[in-house]
Amino acid sequence: MTALQRVAAWRGAGHLTDAQFALAIVVGVLLFHVVIIIVPLAYSFWLSLHETNVILRSSEYVGFDLWAEALFEEETQSATLKSLYFAGVSVVLSLVLSLGMALVLNQEFPGRGILRALILLPWAVSEVVTATMWTIMLEPAWGFFNGALEPLGIVSQGHVWLNKDWALFWLAVAFTWHIAPLGTFFFLAALQTIPQDLYNAARIDRAGVISRFYHVTLPHIRYAVLIVLVVVTVEAFRQFDLVFAMTSGGPGTTTQILPLLIFRYNFQFSQYGLASAASFILIIIATILAVAYFVLMTRRSKQSRVAAAQRRAAAKAEAS
Amino acid sequence: MTREANLRLFVALSVLFVLLWTMVPFFWMLWASFMTDSELTEGIVQGIDEPTLEHYKRIFGHADKEAIFGGQTKLIGQGFLNSLVVALPVAIIGTAIATLAGYAFGRFNFPAKTGLLFGLLLTRVLPPVAILIPYFTMFRTVGLVGDPGGLILTYLTGIIPLLSWVLMGYFATLPLEVERAARIDGCSRLKVLWYVIIPMAAPGISAAFIIAFLFAWNELLFGIILVGGTKWQTLSPALLAISPLTAVGYSPIALFSAASALSIAPPLILALIFQRYITRLNIVDPVTVRE
Repeated sequence: MTALQRVAAWRGAGHLTDAQFALAIVVGVLLFHVVIIIVPLAYSFWLSLHETNVILRSSEYVGFDLWAEALFEEETQSATLKSLYFAGVSVVLSLVLSLGMALVLNQEFPGRGILRALILLPWAVSEVVTATMWTIMLEPAWGFFNGALEPLGIVSQGHVWLNKDWALFWLAVAFTWHIAPLGTFFFLAALQTIPQDLYNAARIDRAGVISRFYHVTLPHIRYAVLIVLVVVTVEAFRQFDLVFAMTSGGPGTTTQILPLLIFRYNFQFSQYGLASAASFILIIIATILAVAYFVLMTRRSKQSRVAAAQRRAAAKAEAS
Repeated sequence: MTREANLRLFVALSVLFVLLWTMVPFFWMLWASFMTDSELTEGIVQGIDEPTLEHYKRIFGHADKEAIFGGQTKLIGQGFLNSLVVALPVAIIGTAIATLAGYAFGRFNFPAKTGLLFGLLLTRVLPPVAILIPYFTMFRTVGLVGDPGGLILTYLTGIIPLLSWVLMGYFATLPLEVERAARIDGCSRLKVLWYVIIPMAAPGISAAFIIAFLFAWNELLFGIILVGGTKWQTLSPALLAISPLTAVGYSPIALFSAASALSIAPPLILALIFQRYITRLNIVDPVTVRE
């Protein structure tokens, strides 16, 4: 019996086809997620249409009133803007830092392996501990920044870093410290795909460092830039733990980003309807980002599928 | 020549910056954990007269000052165990399910694949805070609030999409030939997965395991809501309970630093292992490493 006949016999024996096999697994996994994601989301949607009265234990249908409130009230609007600011600053800082770190780690120097291992550590640390570390750095009375910078006369005595104008910025810095290693690894992976010949050719053409970066490096890492952009934005929008652990929204409400406000609506004011409506705003922003993310990802996987098909065709040609 | 020397100097300075940026926060937290509270209030850079192990001893229950924090320090040790009880099943079950899903997505074509993949990925983008109340209500109805089972289930839903995505990308990079040969020799698909694919994908699967473990170990929000203040309280909520933010008046930051330093030991060890896998893989498709 030839191999082909054996496969045919095996297929004929009432087994699933490849597609059926894969679909069975995927549908199984997805069913699990439908139950545990869609059902709660539907419930959340129901909540967002009802004004709950905790004392009377009653709820009243109010249509999309709470959505309107979540969209147009100053409190929620300012929280949304803070979320956007936090995400924006995090994205810019992460992009610059992770690309910078990747470019450094792509150079040859003694101890590169150790440094590559070390830069991953901030990512492994929880947001709560990230908050601890940056509190120690920024504490006005005894913290590291003031302790190091006061004697040099750079900052005034007892400078409050987490003040109402800059607290959100420093939260974004702490978040960047935590998330940038991820971007660094995306960039390192992309940098390693650039053929060294291109650099040599550029050098022969007397291209300078900056010119080499623009004409050789950047075109190869454009995709990684996009990925880091979207990943950091999504993660920044989801972020709750770090802000809650470091400032809890303070001073005042200056760092009260949308997830924190939703948390307070739920657990401080028992305004479940408004919290749910505000959640959907967050979900909608995140979904738009997810679509962007997914479009980028599939475009990439199409590319790799084409490459794989080419490889297979080449292998077939070689075999025949 | 000077140009070359300048470049070398620039690289050296950059390396120094990367090293400082990454390690300085770790260093000062560790430093603070060996200071007494009065030393710390004088300034962290002023230095330590004599390093103290008082805070570590207190966490391990060898000091008799427990009353100060209402016994909260004991919760750190308990939180360690609880986090282990939660994170290990999440990592094991999550990796197993995601291996199957990743294999299906990475190796086969089937109807509505793109749509299904998008559905899976969308759950990843969902902000946790948006499903908090429904989860709480749901779990209260079935008695899973204050129970590690509820937390494990929550973390599994949170991490499986991401792990599937990571593993899908990884499986797609493995050569098809061995698998095809095994199939021709009469292996069933699950046997191929178990005997051929999984051994080949061991580094990727280990990486997925570690990502899941770290996620469950570090998570705070659902920890607070589902097990906060109960005997199953995990490490992050337990840490927050002795955080200077929530403690009134007196700030136990030195003790908090010691507890935080202890809490990051398992993640750091795992991250170092994970890093070795990445460099050993050689080809790291950007798609395969996300968080």
